[in-house]
Amino acid sequence: MAAIEIEQLTKRYGPTLAVDGLSFTVEPGRIVGFLGPNGAGKTTTLRALLGLISATSGSATLGGRRFVELEDPVRTVGAVLDGGMLHPGRSGRNHLRMLAQGAGIGRGRVDELLGLVGLADSADRRAGGYSLGMRQRLGLAAALLGDPAVLVLDEPANGLDPQGIRWLRDFLRSLAAEGRAVLVSSHVLAEVTQTADEVVVIAKGRSVAQAPLSELLAARGGGTRVAGPDVERLAELLRADGAEVKPVGEGAIVVGDRNGEQVGRLIAEHGVVISELGAVSTSLEEIFFELTGEETSA
Amino acid sequence: MSRLIGAELLKLRTTRTGVALIASVVGIVVLVSALATFTGDFDSDEFNTVDLLGISGFAQPFALVLGILAVTSEFRHGTITPTLIAAPGRGRLLAAKLAANGLAGVLLGVVAVAVCSAIVLLGLSARGIETGLASGDVARVVAGQVVAGGLWAALGVGVGALIGNQVGAIVGALGWLFLVENLLRIVPGLGDQVEKYGINGASNGLGNLESQNTGEVLGQVGGGLLLAAYAVAFLLAGLLVLRSRDVTT
Repeated sequence: MAAIEIEQLTKRYGPTLAVDGLSFTVEPGRIVGFLGPNGAGKTTTLRALLGLISATSGSATLGGRRFVELEDPVRTVGAVLDGGMLHPGRSGRNHLRMLAQGAGIGRGRVDELLGLVGLADSADRRAGGYSLGMRQRLGLAAALLGDPAVLVLDEPANGLDPQGIRWLRDFLRSLAAEGRAVLVSSHVLAEVTQTADEVVVIAKGRSVAQAPLSELLAARGGGTRVAGPDVERLAELLRADGAEVKPVGEGAIVVGDRNGEQVGRLIAEHGVVISELGAVSTSLEEIFFELTGEETSA
Repeated sequence: MSRLIGAELLKLRTTRTGVALIASVVGIVVLVSALATFTGDFDSDEFNTVDLLGISGFAQPFALVLGILAVTSEFRHGTITPTLIAAPGRGRLLAAKLAANGLAGVLLGVVAVAVCSAIVLLGLSARGIETGLASGDVARVVAGQVVAGGLWAALGVGVGALIGNQVGAIVGALGWLFLVENLLRIVPGLGDQVEKYGINGASNGLGNLESQNTGEVLGQVGGGLLLAAYAVAFLLAGLLVLRSRDVTT
């Protein structure tokens, strides 16, 4: 059974569909990147999964059960939303203690986790003075209190410096290697590409892709872009040759399964006039922008 | 359930809010009861030891605010999210807050009435003035004030759950108690009812002695039950709102 299963989840706020028929699954031992631009519905989805908001329709379950029906939630799921909210007047250690207390978890585990996330030295300061990165680390510690098999992390890399992001990456890797299912959301693709086994990309509340990263690259990336006055004729020639051709805007095409040299030979053979020929970038960043319908910065 | 209550008690102990509320209550009660005891004109017919002991009632709005803060500060600082992720049962959360903060309210009442009666009884005896009270009377006033502290905190938990917004809940509750109810008391026909059955009236009944009561307010038991009924009503309404609420902070 999937560790996390989102099934036709829909959340409506008045006239706005924040999440619109979203479905995806997370299997044990996998890190799934949950990607989308800000406002795409990621946090709404995670809040529905964690029983904080009620879905308009559809379901979100953990091991087949709704979060609010779990017998021992802390030992089943660990989650951080919005960087882990803190009372500014309470120390990080006491924040963890109060959550641990409610679940019957002792002080030893709290101290252990504070060491694990590198907060042992600042744990007794009032949390109002914590940096965003420290809050994120404390949030992770809170999520791990009950040593859960499923982790749900909303933008955990926000506020982390490059060393922190590397630390987080290694940390998540080791958690998944222990067989945990990890769902980690982000609006910055680069944060998850080196961590996630697969990605779910959403835009405007709808899923636009769920696939392992390598498949996504193979299916979406690559190809050769050709532009010029005769591209339509070239397109016909290529199609006759069995190539996959996609028009991109005025006077340009992308050939999916031919490299530059192959296209060039065809051009020379038939005396076609072109003005541009180049390999299409295969960066995930651009696939992400293409999928989510956002402007590329290029 | 006892774990959740423990967690709520820990929340109370780990910020400065609880200490600040207790210190405020002690400060005000010491100041007002000392001024009244040592400067009051006790030769007049207005003299009434029960009224002096009633100064410990200054703890009540603080107990109310304590209860309100227990719920609303979770929304204000967003700690409601980690709280509910650790323990998603909202009814149980509210029950744990009721138990922990009701206890804290009782503690506020105990502190206030202890400080107040010590100053009043010692002060009067130092001035050689008869209190006119049997020890049983003092015990009844003390009990009433202690119970009132718990009930006001319970009422605050209900108001906090119902309104959610911290500023709105505090301004709304204190505005109703100190402004609206007092204004309603001057409305002919309605005024007597408000004085007797309003929230302040119920609390006044609880803190008064039957022997001193001339019928403007209910007796101690009646007043206590009415105040408890107000608390239960707000707690039930707050529970309904809390359970259906989308937590997005």
